[in-house]
Amino acid sequence: MRFLPLIWSGIWRKPGRTILIFLQVSVAFALFGVLQGLKTGVEHLIGDARADLLIVHGGLGLMDPLPLALFEGIKSVPGVKVVVPVELFGAIYQNPNQKLGVVAIRPDEGWLSAFTFTIAPDYVAAFRNTRTGAIIREGLLKKYGWKVGDHIPLMSTTAKMNGSTDWAFDVVGTYTDSDVGGGKETLLVNYAYFDEARFAGKGTVNHFNVAVSDPKLAVTVADGIDRRFANSANATQTDSLLELAQSQLQSIGDLNFLIRAIVSVVLVALLFAIATMMMQSIRERTPELAVLKTLGFSDRAVFLLVLVEAMALFAAAAACGLALALLVFPFASKIVPGLSMPFIVVALGVACAVLVAAISALLPAVAAAKLNIAAALARR
Amino acid sequence: MIFTRQLLGILLMNLSGIRQRIAQVLTIIIGVTCAVGVLVSMLAMGTGARRQEMADVRADHATLITSGARYGQSNIPRDEVAAILGLPGIQKGTAGEPIVVFESMIPIEGRRRATGNRIYFPLIGITPTVTQYQPEMRFTGGRMFKPGLHELIASSPCVREFTGFEIGDRRPIHGSDWTIVGHFEQGQAQQCVVYADVDNIMSAFSRNTYSAVSVRLQSPADFAAFRDAVSANPALQLEAQRESEVAEEGFKQLNAILNFVSYFVGTIMAIGATLGAVNSLYAIVDARRSELATLRAIGFDSGAIVVSILVESILWALPGALLGGALAWVLFNGLSASPFGFTFQLAVTPALVALGVVWALAMGLVGGLLPALRAARVPVATALRAT
Repeated sequence: MRFLPLIWSGIWRKPGRTILIFLQVSVAFALFGVLQGLKTGVEHLIGDARADLLIVHGGLGLMDPLPLALFEGIKSVPGVKVVVPVELFGAIYQNPNQKLGVVAIRPDEGWLSAFTFTIAPDYVAAFRNTRTGAIIREGLLKKYGWKVGDHIPLMSTTAKMNGSTDWAFDVVGTYTDSDVGGGKETLLVNYAYFDEARFAGKGTVNHFNVAVSDPKLAVTVADGIDRRFANSANATQTDSLLELAQSQLQSIGDLNFLIRAIVSVVLVALLFAIATMMMQSIRERTPELAVLKTLGFSDRAVFLLVLVEAMALFAAAAACGLALALLVFPFASKIVPGLSMPFIVVALGVACAVLVAAISALLPAVAAAKLNIAAALARR
Repeated sequence: MIFTRQLLGILLMNLSGIRQRIAQVLTIIIGVTCAVGVLVSMLAMGTGARRQEMADVRADHATLITSGARYGQSNIPRDEVAAILGLPGIQKGTAGEPIVVFESMIPIEGRRRATGNRIYFPLIGITPTVTQYQPEMRFTGGRMFKPGLHELIASSPCVREFTGFEIGDRRPIHGSDWTIVGHFEQGQAQQCVVYADVDNIMSAFSRNTYSAVSVRLQSPADFAAFRDAVSANPALQLEAQRESEVAEEGFKQLNAILNFVSYFVGTIMAIGATLGAVNSLYAIVDARRSELATLRAIGFDSGAIVVSILVESILWALPGALLGGALAWVLFNGLSASPFGFTFQLAVTPALVALGVVWALAMGLVGGLLPALRAARVPVATALRAT
């Protein structure tokens, strides 16, 4: 405890230099926080994706349609609890820059258990009872100022029976989605209405959502479905949401190397800069340190004094920089929807800061500890 | 004149004493090297992606899209084919037919060779006129697909990156097997593309509209007439675009992300390096207090002292910039990167290095400002007494 005032006065011996070091370390760790946050955040998103919800799509990939007729076949595979046909199409609202994703689903009994959506029960009931009903993702509803009861006109490249590409739906509720691949600007509509109204592609779906009766058997069920349709004209490929998230975010994962490279470069530059500064500081304080030793401070005490001084300054500055990173993170994470900064990154940042401080202060601290009193005092 | 001589004098004095301050100088150089190196390397992604996107663009290529749609997402019905073939300005092929390419694109899943990861590539149903549309296209193995047969040809990046694209390999597509019969190169493109006969693809996927139509013009100058003919034809709900416009459009989003990330990271690193430089220069100036005070005492202009420190600061930043640019070039130029599903080679260009040098100059100038002012304000009496 009695060291605290000494450390404090050591830190503030040259306020200008301390403030500059503080800022430099803060900036470095703000960058560290944002980059590492992106990397770890993506890993967390993948980890949070549901492994027990399956998507059955055509064998050629997510854009390969399947006939609705596969419904019974999938349903009959052991372990399948709920099967929901899903069709996707793109639409625009008012002008071509306002794109929306429309998800047409069949709201059979228990359909919600095959999705990651959260919807209030009366909305679910209203959706089932309104042929032209639409449930809007909450953010989208706010973006365009829609309300429940509104009649919303959309334009689509999907033509209707009468040749028109104008579609209209009635807002019956809102939903939220916990899945990373869900898309932000989406609404849910009735498959039956959509399929009857469209001109081309009747009776096909983009994929089926499948809920399994036992989450532990998800992989077995997925294999079962694909085996059921193997070598038919409609071979399927069944993936869990977890697998899809992995492949979707893997492209961003390619940036991992870059992030690691930048973070290391930043830390190395910092290490060098701070080591120089500490060396300089110790050189200037030689007489003071010599006085401390004359007063009976052991070599070890002086060594620790210098080391702790650097670590304290670094930890504080890193905390400040990471706080800054938390503030700017929402802007940097625009690339990946739904990303948040995991707490582990903050802990990792502070740990890194203390480590860098220890390494960069090691040489100066050893120099301070080895100081010969007579020589040091005589220099003046 | 006196000012210049004083400035030179101070500079020489400063530089001659630099050996004792080598650690501070190195700190500045390393800081600037890292900041510039990272900025240049990251911008090299955007430059590389752009270079690749534009490399195969030909001025005599034009594309028709459904009004308002993006390339490859158009819906062009079969009954517009005759009207399109009759448009003016289109180059005639060897058999006298107009060189028009009709496409129908379907994304297909593939597996990466190295990792087994899945990735999407386009399966494009295309008219055989493609070989005349793109004279750069050449076969590295096998032959062209035959219309009417279930045959595929794959670009060489497919073979390099994915499994299942050797000649003779069969891929099951909608119940029937399609055979790979050829490999081709397509200019600079690094994307995996698979071609098949467009009519086959459209019947296999029960489609009745083309997703893209491209034409080769007789000369680039014919574009205006071609575009006017398209918009004047009431039967065509299409608009004509130059290939370069299509490429720019398709590249815009990736470019925006890459530039945002590059400048975001680059700016933060530059701020860090500048702060480090300020600290180092303060230390350098402090070490010279008595010399500077002596100069002031014998009548040197304080303006010359300010400028001398600024020049010195820039002088230490410059090698950092060159080193950073050189490192970026050595480490990353020509390296393949595939962020966000695009594959391209990083390109460290002289323009990027020049940009790095400008950043370094700015860092040196900003970083040198405060220490320079302090140097000029050294109180003569105290500084001289201190030694």
